[in-house]
Amino acid sequence: MIGRVTRTTLAAVACAALGAVLLAQERPMQLDDTKVPKGRPAPRMANGKPDFSGYWKGTTQTRPGGNIGKDLPGWKLPLTPAGEAALKHNLTATVDPEAVCIIGGTPRHNASGLPFEVLQGANKIVFMYWYSYFRLVPFTAGLKHSDDPDPSFFGEEIGRWEGDTLVIDSIGFKDEKVWIDENANPHSDALHVVERWTRPDYNHIHVDTLIEDPKFYTRSFTYARTWALGEPDEQIQEYSCSENNVDAAHLGFGPGPIRADGTRGYDNPAPLPPPVPKK
Amino acid sequence: MKSHLALAAAIALAAGGHAAAHHSFAAEFDATKAIRVTGTLVKVEWTNPHTYFYVDVKDDKGEVVRWACESGAPGALSRRGFKRSLLKLGDTLIVDGYRAKNGANLMDARRVTLPDGQVMVGASAGDGGPQ
Repeated sequence: MIGRVTRTTLAAVACAALGAVLLAQERPMQLDDTKVPKGRPAPRMANGKPDFSGYWKGTTQTRPGGNIGKDLPGWKLPLTPAGEAALKHNLTATVDPEAVCIIGGTPRHNASGLPFEVLQGANKIVFMYWYSYFRLVPFTAGLKHSDDPDPSFFGEEIGRWEGDTLVIDSIGFKDEKVWIDENANPHSDALHVVERWTRPDYNHIHVDTLIEDPKFYTRSFTYARTWALGEPDEQIQEYSCSENNVDAAHLGFGPGPIRADGTRGYDNPAPLPPPVPKK
Repeated sequence: MKSHLALAAAIALAAGGHAAAHHSFAAEFDATKAIRVTGTLVKVEWTNPHTYFYVDVKDDKGEVVRWACESGAPGALSRRGFKRSLLKLGDTLIVDGYRAKNGANLMDARRVTLPDGQVMVGASAGDGGPQ
């Protein structure tokens, strides 16, 4: 009996210690998709449609992250001369809009490394992003775009179901203070985005994206991505972007160097000074 | 060695290799300018989108220079165990990181050594900075 109590107590102490350690750990913002279970059917709404609700994290298999040209050979975007000029402008005369608390918009949020959360209702779906932004997409049958939508960062979004696929068609975008991805690539007010969202299984959500912008791109191109489900207790949390944006005054134009692998950052950073020896 | 490995793992976990942060590390900091600043903690701003703490450092001429140390968002730091309560005014901190590209006395505080030897990861999660 004493041995059983001792073992139980030890187990409880071990669990408490493990819990404390887990609480002190920062959970990864991305998951290794090879370790994410597959095959469990996607949950469904009362109307039989798949339910996309959940806290979704990017995977380490999405490379290069943050680059809307991810699926193009050499990540080379088909820029028109006007698009080339717009890219040059973004690189040499604009700071990252998100860094000064401007909404990233569509399709940039789909190229972000940050997780997002989805809540789905019978006729609307809400995508919630870190930085306290959200997009609310109606998918009531028969919705049509307006003749002259007000320009916005997410555009005028119309949802519709095609079987188990939620199609979101967006037009009416702003053309200033917008980057189409983390690497400062441009888009114009002629942008047209068609997202086709599916939930292939319980632990995954996927989007196939068609991007058209005849002002800045010579042809349409596609961007596909899969996210994996986070833990049940994970959710978007408070993030007041403009509370104390000291860094805004120190940011250079553009995203800084782009690595050979297509991501933003330095290829060969200097090492930090050696760690301080333990006392 | 164990704590150094844990630190490396924590940085890798935080950075993740995918652009995710409020802004790119490379838009603000120079990865060729790794520096160490040792100074007295005089101010803490536990705020979004970044936390800042300020240390007073004596330069070569004996004059006090104030350095701003930028770190991740409060929530990210807290979840990795870097709590606001660990920063006590008057403490001597050793801060390793990278200097701002514009030459200001501002650094990205990627590694913070507290007076008791604890090492905290200050990096902004997923900013594309050095891992």
